[in-house]
Amino acid sequence: MRDFLLGLAFVIGGGVVIAVAQTYPTMPTLQFGPSLFPSLIGGGMVIGGLVLALTRVGQLRIAFAGPRAQTPRYDYRGLLISLLPCALIVFYILASEWLGAPLCMAVSMLILMLLRGARPWLSLIVSLVVATAIYLLFSRYLLIPLPEGTLLSQILP
Amino acid sequence: MDSFLQGLAMVFNVQTMLVIVAAAIFGLFVGAIPGLTATMAVALLVPITFYMDATPAIAAIVATSAMAIFAGDIPGTYLNIPGTPASAAYVGESYRLAQKGRARETLGTNLVCSVIGGLFGTLVLVFVSPSLAEMALNFSSFEYFWLALLGLSSSIFIAIGSRVKAFLSLTVGLLLSTVGLDMMSGAPRFTFGVPDLMAGINFIPVMIGMFALNEIMMFYGSRAEARSVPVMAKDSVFAGAPKHVKTYWRNVLRGSSLGTLIGALPGAGADIAAWIAYALGKSRSKEKEKYGNGHIEGIVDASSANNSGISGAWVPALVFGIPGDTITAIVIGVLYMKGMNPGPTIFMNGGGQVYALFTVFFVANLIMLPIGYLAIRASKVFILTPRKLLMPVILSFCIVGAFAINNSITDIWIMLIIGMVAFVLARNDFPMAPAILGLVLGGTLENSFMSSMLKSNGDLLAFFERPISAALGALVILIWLLPSLIRLVRRLRSSPPSSHKPRSS
Repeated sequence: MRDFLLGLAFVIGGGVVIAVAQTYPTMPTLQFGPSLFPSLIGGGMVIGGLVLALTRVGQLRIAFAGPRAQTPRYDYRGLLISLLPCALIVFYILASEWLGAPLCMAVSMLILMLLRGARPWLSLIVSLVVATAIYLLFSRYLLIPLPEGTLLSQILP
Repeated sequence: MDSFLQGLAMVFNVQTMLVIVAAAIFGLFVGAIPGLTATMAVALLVPITFYMDATPAIAAIVATSAMAIFAGDIPGTYLNIPGTPASAAYVGESYRLAQKGRARETLGTNLVCSVIGGLFGTLVLVFVSPSLAEMALNFSSFEYFWLALLGLSSSIFIAIGSRVKAFLSLTVGLLLSTVGLDMMSGAPRFTFGVPDLMAGINFIPVMIGMFALNEIMMFYGSRAEARSVPVMAKDSVFAGAPKHVKTYWRNVLRGSSLGTLIGALPGAGADIAAWIAYALGKSRSKEKEKYGNGHIEGIVDASSANNSGISGAWVPALVFGIPGDTITAIVIGVLYMKGMNPGPTIFMNGGGQVYALFTVFFVANLIMLPIGYLAIRASKVFILTPRKLLMPVILSFCIVGAFAINNSITDIWIMLIIGMVAFVLARNDFPMAPAILGLVLGGTLENSFMSSMLKSNGDLLAFFERPISAALGALVILIWLLPSLIRLVRRLRSSPPSSHKPRSS
């Protein structure tokens, strides 16, 4: 089922790539413009996606025809939890300018550690120490301009 | 001779030696943690290498990758969980040996075979690369086009699992390689008005997203239970190794040469080398019945192969600028960054730098012996590092690592989006290696094709006019047709003679 849907997604994605590629300007002196490779790649996505989807049609039919109990339940809770690190990255991107990189990293690490059942005091210590160490290593030693954050800019060294 | 001495001086100094030791320990730590791959270790190391000279930067990568591949055997032996995919082939054998109280003996043999394999691959790298480079100097855009296509085709046909999925994974990588300004016309492609995308997509955030963020998401998505560590037996690390290497010296030699060869094939890395060496070792063994119950012979073959594969992958990376595996895909980026442009001219213009690189390989492999020994002795510490504390730390490194490439938030977004796409694809058994190769080789493929077409005024036959180009083209076509040919031969062999008779009804 998922392979069928992914196949369809590739077909749609390939179609979009081809459509966007057609909008690229062509140079009069060149026989092949900048649209050639994206169009070929889009074509490949459409063909590959079609093959994937069509080869799974039989399985799809069996899945729909068979008793409902046989179809395995999808772990939606697991999927949602697996998206939490991504949500925390978005939190970092949006909040680091204000809260600062060390605090954002510490909060993210603390949440993730507590989620998997780490001891709260240990999680707190590890997240604070590691966030400070990463910040100092990258911003002070490697001179990466990690955001200090307007909130804590007066406190940090 | 001056270049050689200069190369030695670049390696045998306090800074580089300290970097090698630190990188080996880092590789050991990452490799010993299940789920964290050697590629991920190298990807995490790249932001640090920005601030190093070329030799220590390369030394750090070589030492990390070699050590991580060996270290993957440690959790494999104790927990039946391979630390890296390269250890997966023989994890059953090593775990069963550990259950018999031979964990340290197994790991000691692993270590010695890994070092031998790594040194064998290095010798091939030293002696084969310069002569290959001389030949490669005659290559034009036609040959490079076929070479790039050969690498991409190999990545599909060597991939484990569905070829359609491998092909689709490749298209994702190729599509990413087209982002940015077109080389010939200067037209922006898929930039969506974002200025940071004009220069194209940097492959380090992609790499971090595909391998690190994807793994982190997998970890939180699964409900992995706490693992129990078996009681460690008081066996010796090196007591059995010389005997096993002496008994199975043919296996060591075969595994090492096979690993180097497979590693040198674009798209195939240490993990595929280990699987093939294990399978070949089993098929040629006189004691086939012992396989699966804890047999040291299978370990000897495969552990030599995976480490020699690491060195072998550097041959096409250095000579042609075409990565042999995902690690060398990252390495190529680092080489460019350090002004050591990979390609045949590296052997002519590189001077002492090339000798330094070769020396680094020898040192990094030899240093595995003492560090590996200590790691085996203290292996419980590595295994007991809780992943629930480690994964959040890695996430922070991912964010900062992606940002550090260009000091740009856009790279964090790229890492995030690619990580999510990779997560969906990996959960549905799409291999990741073709996508990485597509991203790395996409530019070479397109640029060499466009240059060739301009040279030949659009005549496609020009791709077969030069002898080497024609041979490479024929090889690519053969690879494409090979599965169909094999299927046809199998069908002809298996079909009974009666099936050729006309049916009565």
